[in-house]
Amino acid sequence: MAVDKKFIGKKYPPFVYEIGKEKIREYAKSIGDMNPLYHDDAAGADKYGGIIAPPTFAVVYANGPVGAMLFDKELALNLMMLVHGEQEFEFGEVVRPGDIITTDGEIADIYDKKGKDFVSFSSVSKNQNGAVVCKARWTFVIRG
Amino acid sequence: MAKIDEINPGQEFPPQSNPVGKYQPIYYAGSSGDFNPIHIDPEFGKMAGLGGNILQGLCTMAFCAKAMTDLAGDPGRLKMLRVRFAKPVYPLDKVEVKGQVASKDGGRIEVELGAWTKNGETQVISNAAAIIE
Repeated sequence: MAVDKKFIGKKYPPFVYEIGKEKIREYAKSIGDMNPLYHDDAAGADKYGGIIAPPTFAVVYANGPVGAMLFDKELALNLMMLVHGEQEFEFGEVVRPGDIITTDGEIADIYDKKGKDFVSFSSVSKNQNGAVVCKARWTFVIRG
Repeated sequence: MAKIDEINPGQEFPPQSNPVGKYQPIYYAGSSGDFNPIHIDPEFGKMAGLGGNILQGLCTMAFCAKAMTDLAGDPGRLKMLRVRFAKPVYPLDKVEVKGQVASKDGGRIEVELGAWTKNGETQVISNAAAIIE
């Protein structure tokens, strides 16, 4: 069942996430990244004033709107047949513990290619100072 | 000086190997919040026609990001990362990330990369690029 193109442009409510130091450490450890900048306040003290988040920590703070889309009953995506097709992140300011990140997101495109449905979602995350920390494009494929 | 600054366009960067433990998709589910059953439940993965549970694509992308931030020295230098999830990664796979510096323009470095499993036989990340500044 094809995904209805009328949902292109559908926006989801902003998602607010407060960055926690231990969550950064937990996430970094789970991807096997023991870079001291993600674990040890002393390592980043001079440049960043303490630990920073790995760039792909964006999946944690920015996943609210895209998650809302995936479970959107109106859109009714077949999650069993859905796989992640492509992902793009543009990174702005570095993310640090205590940052309050707000992410807005909308369905950027719905199209079919080689008999498969593609749903592409765009999100923009900004910190408490209004600076962009991450722009993301999430593309999902509904198999067969 | 970070490694990336010493690599000329056309030259490969040092590859990185990432072993995927049997429970890696579960650890990653806990840290990322992605508990889609195709990642954490082998039976569900089979039912979905995937032959078992598969690693979250974003975890494989994180392996690519690690290769880039290790090259850059300062993770804040990574300005863009783009990947295509070409094939699934399974528990007990080993994900090898490799590639080359594509171009250098002033302080902007473009990197082309990919990721492979099965000793290089299966490309799991394709069409991937990064920008380091």
